[in-house]
Amino acid sequence: MRDLTRRVKILCTPARVPRWGPRFCTPARVRRWGARLGVASAIIVVGLTVATAAGRQTSPARPFPAYKAPRLADGHPDLNGLWQAFVTANIDLDDHEAQSGPHPELLGAYGGWPAGQSIVEGGEIPYQQSALARRKQNLENRMKVDVSDDKKWHDLGDPEFKCYMPGVPRATYMPFPFQIVQGSSPYILIAYEFTSATRTIRMNWKGDAPTDSWMGWSRGRWDGDTLVVDVTGQREETWFDRAGNYHSDALHVVERYTPVSPYHLMYEATIEDPKVFTRPWKIGFPLYRRMEKNVQPLEFKCVPWTEELLFGRFRKTP
Amino acid sequence: MRYRLRTSMVVLVMLLVALGAVAEQAPPAKPASPAPPASAVPSKPAPKRPAPPKAWTPTRTPWGDPDLQGVWNDATSTPLQRPSARAGKDVLSDEEANEFQQELAFDLTRDRRDGGPEVDVNRAYNDHWMDARRLKITADRRTSLIVDPADGRIPPLVPLSPERQKARAARADANARFNAGMPYSPEEMSLPVRCIIRTDSPPYLPTIYNNDFQIFQSPGFVVIAPEMIHSARIIPLDGRPHLGKNLRQWLGDTRGRFDGGTLVIETTNFRTDDGVVFQGANPATYRITERLTRVAPDTISYEFTVEDPTTWTRPWTALIPWTRIDPAEQMYEYACHEDNFDIVHLLSGARTREKNGEGKR
Amino acid sequence: MRTKLCVVVAGLGLLAALTAKPVVAHHAFGAEFDAKRPVKFKGTVTKMVWVNPHAWIYVDVKKADGSVEEWMVEAGTPNTLLRRGFTKQSLQAGTEITVDGYQSKDGSLRVNGRDVTLPNGQTLFLGSSGTGAPYDEKTKK
Repeated sequence: MRDLTRRVKILCTPARVPRWGPRFCTPARVRRWGARLGVASAIIVVGLTVATAAGRQTSPARPFPAYKAPRLADGHPDLNGLWQAFVTANIDLDDHEAQSGPHPELLGAYGGWPAGQSIVEGGEIPYQQSALARRKQNLENRMKVDVSDDKKWHDLGDPEFKCYMPGVPRATYMPFPFQIVQGSSPYILIAYEFTSATRTIRMNWKGDAPTDSWMGWSRGRWDGDTLVVDVTGQREETWFDRAGNYHSDALHVVERYTPVSPYHLMYEATIEDPKVFTRPWKIGFPLYRRMEKNVQPLEFKCVPWTEELLFGRFRKTP
Repeated sequence: MRYRLRTSMVVLVMLLVALGAVAEQAPPAKPASPAPPASAVPSKPAPKRPAPPKAWTPTRTPWGDPDLQGVWNDATSTPLQRPSARAGKDVLSDEEANEFQQELAFDLTRDRRDGGPEVDVNRAYNDHWMDARRLKITADRRTSLIVDPADGRIPPLVPLSPERQKARAARADANARFNAGMPYSPEEMSLPVRCIIRTDSPPYLPTIYNNDFQIFQSPGFVVIAPEMIHSARIIPLDGRPHLGKNLRQWLGDTRGRFDGGTLVIETTNFRTDDGVVFQGANPATYRITERLTRVAPDTISYEFTVEDPTTWTRPWTALIPWTRIDPAEQMYEYACHEDNFDIVHLLSGARTREKNGEGKR
Repeated sequence: MRTKLCVVVAGLGLLAALTAKPVVAHHAFGAEFDAKRPVKFKGTVTKMVWVNPHAWIYVDVKKADGSVEEWMVEAGTPNTLLRRGFTKQSLQAGTEITVDGYQSKDGSLRVNGRDVTLPNGQTLFLGSSGTGAPYDEKTKK
């Protein structure tokens, strides 16, 4: 404090008095301003210390202080809202560099794909050795299509490229929002903007998927504040990303949606497929609540944009 | 009198409970959907319709909205328009109704093999591939789903502009080519065949199968998810304005409000592609209002009014009952484009047949 | 030409009058399948493709000369069958079926499955497919 008073005094040396004004530099004022500076400095120092300490305590696993989401009448957390992921995992679940994307001679920078960091816990996806060749093939063929033979209809091409429903978990990290609709019935709806895909989470459903589907058969339950969704019965033709990461008909996905703030859900999915991977593996990333005023999901009905691609070879030529 | 008092007490208690449940919620609180500003969803005078069924007090969601949640089926054999043979009769007696139902069921069944090959090929497949409920007329024994105008038929067309007549003729030509199995291109086929929109395009009309709609609700929203084709019609109830006029969608943009027990929804912002609005109406002047009211534990009354002064001489209204499906049943995913082999069959088949000399005029 | 258009429009109008559906049918089978090419054959199911908008039954048909033709039978929406209690497993590979229908206009080995029956004459999925599906109980006369 004395030190600060001294500093104020320094400001008030005869040479400097004309700058600050003689009325500022009375002894009483010097003492008062010294005290105020002292308090301000103390606050700044304490604040910086706390912030640094908090920053040091922040770990990827727990970025927020403990949060209790508002409840719906049934006592479970309210997950309603329009949510979106901001990872670029739809391009590649693993680390990926920025790239030009297809046909840069036509699309220039419009067609570029951004870089992204892996969302796979522990690094690489644990493929069985024999399953890697197919991933490579998928990557090479992701923009090729041939629908001339019904039996080979799905052999080529990324399903996203063809505007097919993306399955789970891919739908969660595509660059489009989705709406969670949670009411007072035993069903939670997730409505995705991409190709208007929807899926129904059947709460406390027991039993196998009665049929295969592109978005799978989802059974939900609560684990504390986490919505746990168990998904089976997905069409084997879906991919995890544009890099050709894929699965078989034995795919089993378990998702966890945990509210961690009014604006974030933490999403985690465990992926298991004994025909393709050596062990189960996990992905995780936050989901962000879309906050714009009057925001709503819009349509992304991409089917018409794939017709020339898929069926153009069969059109009547003049 | 006592019954009415008891009912009122029940309603009062339910309302209190609902309000209590709402009040208990920690912030951000989501109260029962507020009334929108008067300009957002204009009300229209109700059209003439048959006497509504006996009043039933609807249950409410915990946040106070009338509860429409569940999976509902709208299949029926009652035709949209009154057949000329039933002109002048809007409702049938029990005996007439039985006869009408049997006639319709006979006409609509796919199990008949008595029509000769031309008819037979179009009667595929057997009836077990179809929704059995589509062979039943509505419980109120009407002769048409249309209740206004009184003749039960879609009003006449107003004289169409030359451009629209030309567009209709082009559409008819494309349809004729399709019906002959010789389509030129994917885009000249209909939106349902292309798997862009099907029964999910309002107004909802019964069809041969997959007549299911799942209604979800959450505070401030009602969502209608039709089975065919998968989509979610997310309906905000907070009075927000429609999308700007430059944001047009295949299924339009819907806003809703509760008027007592009735969900009133208005849809605008339709795309202008052929087939997006009902039977070639003009998207610029087309208006559609739908009303859903749960009139019994397992019944929703679905009513729609469609108007377009540049297409029909007057508005018209239809009423279709929705029935809750058996709890053992489910609504299933209806993927369409993903395995739409028929587009290739139709197009490549047409090219093969042209090569073989067919289709030459 | 004008007359033809009138007939088409009038015809479509009649269709609208009678049915609850909008004018354009979502699939006119007569477009693709030939009323002048009725077929009836017996074959062995090799697989059932349980998809929308149409399920497909692949059938191997042994010809008189011993060769095998692969036919594809177009069927309806599996969602309806699911609601009647059937699943993909209700039609096993190796099942013998008789297919009665109309062949594709372009001559390919595709059939509009008008009547598909089991060896005992019962309609597939209506009669017993041998899986004890719930619908079998409901339709027992």
